Amino acid sequence: MTLHDSARYREAVRSALVDGDRFLGLHASDGGSVVRAALLTLGGDVRLESVRTEGGSAPTIVDLVPAAGWDEREAHDLYGVRFDGHEPMRPLVDHDLVLSHWTVPVRGDDAYQVAVGPIHAGVIESGHFRFHVVGDRILHLDARLFYKHRGLERAAEGATLAEGARYVGRACAACAVANGLAYAHACEESLGLEPSPELARARTLLLELERVWSHLNDIAAVCAGVGLAAGNTLFAALTERARRLNARLSGHRFLFGVVAVGGSALDLDARQVGAARDELEAIGREAARGWRELQFSASFQDRLPDIGVVGADDVERLGTVGPAARAAGVSLDARSTSKRLAYADFECQVPEMADGDVRARLEQRALELEQSREIALGLLDGPVRPAAAATGATEAPVGVGLVESARGATVCVVERHGDRLERVRLRTGSYANWPSVAYAATDNLLPDFPLINKSFELCYACADR
Amino acid sequence: MLTLLRDLRRLRLDVALPRPDRGRSLAIRHVDAGSCNGCEHELTLTSSPYYDLQRYGLGVVASPRHADVLLVTGPVTTRMRDPLLTAYEAMPEPRLVAALGDCALGCGLLGSPDELVGQVDAVLPVDLRIPGCPPTPDEIAAALLELVDRARAQRTSTRRNSAC
Repeated sequence: MTLHDSARYREAVRSALVDGDRFLGLHASDGGSVVRAALLTLGGDVRLESVRTEGGSAPTIVDLVPAAGWDEREAHDLYGVRFDGHEPMRPLVDHDLVLSHWTVPVRGDDAYQVAVGPIHAGVIESGHFRFHVVGDRILHLDARLFYKHRGLERAAEGATLAEGARYVGRACAACAVANGLAYAHACEESLGLEPSPELARARTLLLELERVWSHLNDIAAVCAGVGLAAGNTLFAALTERARRLNARLSGHRFLFGVVAVGGSALDLDARQVGAARDELEAIGREAARGWRELQFSASFQDRLPDIGVVGADDVERLGTVGPAARAAGVSLDARSTSKRLAYADFECQVPEMADGDVRARLEQRALELEQSREIALGLLDGPVRPAAAATGATEAPVGVGLVESARGATVCVVERHGDRLERVRLRTGSYANWPSVAYAATDNLLPDFPLINKSFELCYACADR
Repeated sequence: MLTLLRDLRRLRLDVALPRPDRGRSLAIRHVDAGSCNGCEHELTLTSSPYYDLQRYGLGVVASPRHADVLLVTGPVTTRMRDPLLTAYEAMPEPRLVAALGDCALGCGLLGSPDELVGQVDAVLPVDLRIPGCPPTPDEIAAALLELVDRARAQRTSTRRNSAC
């Protein structure tokens, strides 16, 4: 980790990107006096390029990597950092009510706005969408989230590393394991701890169990997005079975409180492991039957192709991650390079027709559901015992964890002093992908937006924190 | 599609939920005032075949104008306070408020004090408390059914009052 001056910082980020590094996030720390950009090297290592702010200002990198847009706006709103060259600096977390401050001006004959939310018409998280439309056609979408901003990161400052897991866990129920693991990995890297094979196995199992219920839920959500009640009901029932399995294995339907810094208390005997295998097999059979039926529902299939397209070029430009990136044919998966989890034989999958539309994202979910189930079955080859991380690696004041959640790459940066957190930053797959949802909506019809949104199925809680 | 529907019918038979003893109904408007999304995920599954709350006449409606109950999740964030109050004010009388989940009840709140208003009853009068982190679909279903009886009692008493 290097602390650069302004000119060297931009140069360091630029040359890293030229070398093929990928942007993983940017945050302000030390009360806004330092800005850190995280980058993933081709070899799967994470490095930080940091700059000390001068008079509260740092150079922007948004022209080098547009995916840093939200991160810089967040650092501006929460830590008062000005980013030279980031114009206009629109509020993100701040709820500036002057429309022209946070929306992109859209002018033209018959252009008007449709305001949706923050409260939506179903059981949905809170967030506001401002559609600029002509008739039913969406010209542009400005999403204003952060209605659910709870200041979890700020509140965690000063907590012990063990307590910090509670704050990170509270960010989002749907990604409890992924976020918890990103945090645990960051702490462990900082503490010089390496997971033992047994610890890596237990954690990988939990992460894949989370992905199984999540993908089942997301397939149900796409069915709901087109009003296909039968498909929605079937996959909702399978989601329920997957959560019951979680509860039987861990005592909690969302696997809350199971991931801890430095070890795992998960304890499954041969009988529990066998029952879990049986249930995962049964869920797989039922899901395959349901999926086959969906293929033959013409009115369902007709709604999916060419809607909400985020192509491979868009993925590179917007920094799209997870199933949404893979559905565009970009083989990007943190599991491919994971050193702290048990993914030795992992192969990143993409759909045959990787068009980056709603259809491809749905198919990607089905592919990954099957893959996750197989990984979990492979790991359930014997009892799971409590395990601890091994000491001995080099300690550092800053650690970074990178985990592939059901929505995509989730990065956690931990800065500590002794056993106390000085700063924790969680950048989830949902956070990375919200700008892609807004982009995907462009040039589509307003009634297709719920479907486009469901095909990403991002968490608001994860982004808002 | 027919196979899907047949499978669902078989699942309903397997689950064998009891039939409701009498007719009743309750229209629910859900508001997420700052939750972690856990309560939402469990609330969604109360309409899955394993619980099927609709058989009791319970359903989520699209507008507070049509709702008997405002079902609120999460600690109320400063940014959700006004939208929450707007939704409540849009509801017809008589109206009830249910606080869903530990955060809504003020248990174990986490976050910065300047970003949170706090528990739901700091903003609205709460008629029903559903604890849990998150409460299971079973627990949500049981609590809402209790509220149906209470809503009916309230309607009955309203009618009696108006007859006087």
